[in-house]
Amino acid sequence: MPLTMTCDRIRELASGFVLGSLEPDEMIAVEDHLAACLEPHPEIEELGGVLPYLAISLPPVEPPTWLRDSVISAASADVVNRATSNGARSRPMPIAVEPRRGTPSSLQASQPGPVPALGQAARRQPVISLAAVRASRRRLTTWGLRAAAVVALVGFGALGASNGVIGPKTTPAPFYNIPPGSGSAILNPPDLHSQAAGLAVLMPSGHIIVYVNHLEPTKGNAAYVVWLSEGSGTPSKVGVVQVDSSGTGQLDVQNVPTSPRIWVYICREPSADVMVSTGPIVLSGTISF
Amino acid sequence: MRKRFDVSSDSIVPDGLPEGESEAELMRQVAAGEIGGLEALYDSYHSVAYALALRITTETGLAEDVVQDSFMGVWRNAGRYAEAKGSVRGWLLAIVRHRAIDAMRRRRAGYILGEDGDEALPTALTLPDIWPEVAGRLDAEHVRRAMAALPPAQREVIELAYFDGLTQREISDRTHAPLGTVKSRMRLGMVALRDRLVGDVEDVPAMVPSANGKKGLA
Repeated sequence: MPLTMTCDRIRELASGFVLGSLEPDEMIAVEDHLAACLEPHPEIEELGGVLPYLAISLPPVEPPTWLRDSVISAASADVVNRATSNGARSRPMPIAVEPRRGTPSSLQASQPGPVPALGQAARRQPVISLAAVRASRRRLTTWGLRAAAVVALVGFGALGASNGVIGPKTTPAPFYNIPPGSGSAILNPPDLHSQAAGLAVLMPSGHIIVYVNHLEPTKGNAAYVVWLSEGSGTPSKVGVVQVDSSGTGQLDVQNVPTSPRIWVYICREPSADVMVSTGPIVLSGTISF
Repeated sequence: MRKRFDVSSDSIVPDGLPEGESEAELMRQVAAGEIGGLEALYDSYHSVAYALALRITTETGLAEDVVQDSFMGVWRNAGRYAEAKGSVRGWLLAIVRHRAIDAMRRRRAGYILGEDGDEALPTALTLPDIWPEVAGRLDAEHVRRAMAALPPAQREVIELAYFDGLTQREISDRTHAPLGTVKSRMRLGMVALRDRLVGDVEDVPAMVPSANGKKGLA
């Protein structure tokens, strides 16, 4: 039986309502009353205004620095995927792209839900599993940190210095002399459930190394193409990453243009010969120096 | 006549916006898909958002997930933000809190939900920060003092509700206080906190006499 609410009862329950601590039937009853009542009920907004201050009463805590890159690269991938969904044949990035209703299925599972406007009766609905998301991100972070550690060790001369060419079947353990001033990026998949992971290192000389892991081997003429963008204009094609049966691969290219900030995209293109990207993004990141 | 509390005029809340940047302009950029707007938003509020997520989840990995999902929620729903309905900070922190509490509840329940879920915030958690005239003068220390000034029992029920996401009934079970007492403490505590933050301390009674004449609903 639905609860009967009066304006006086609403005023008594206002604190519990704004804190979200009423029982479900009470919450619904209050929402329904507010939606229909002609009284303004200012106590709801007045007490609701306290909530942000409860949050800032906490001492601020700095999150890990990679989290910023992860947020920005996910948003960047979002923009480009919207452009792809709109049928764009090029990928200017980043730009003001008008959001398109609906998203590719690979993004829907990871898309946080909408925020209802004030006054709407909202009901909780199921959400994706953060456990699965966290597990995949832990794999990404672990792999990325391991690869970054290898690169860092090389950079400090711990493994010596010699140049080598890495083929698609070689486990990442490069012997490169990584100079100071090099930039790097952890490459994230747009789908948080994906196990794909990557790492890009760009040296001041324009020598770029890209490692990938857990990418599905391609079929037919499809290929994983690496694109770089400096933030405006059409992304530049860098090369093709050949992945082995385990989904691991590397790309090593000299003389790519450098810039204070470079976006890296790996897209599954219909063929290795494309000069304009049309395929979905499988990994992306931002190289910071 | 209500007396205004004399607060410092140069208090700055943690993670302030970039100088010269208004929230409306920032959200316009985000709604337009401009990465720079999201970067500015993240740089402004990342540490308070992470602190809140960490306080609720008590686990760094989960807190990181919550913060990322929350900023992506703002990114993808920026068009829904309406300046008249309050601050960006309040909206963002409401999202962070909601996602963090949901994450903890799912963990406690030990189940994995469907992949095509569409999460919606309850109305109460989308309420705006409505005090623009004082927001710029309220710093974290001031808020902490206001919280500390509450009777411990009132502060406890508010913290259990806000940071742990407990219902009043769950708080009653946890604290072994009658449900009616929990409701009263929550109501008195929130009203007292609101009044302390805005500055009308004189008008708030410290305790309310109970039916038996003893003071102590707090």
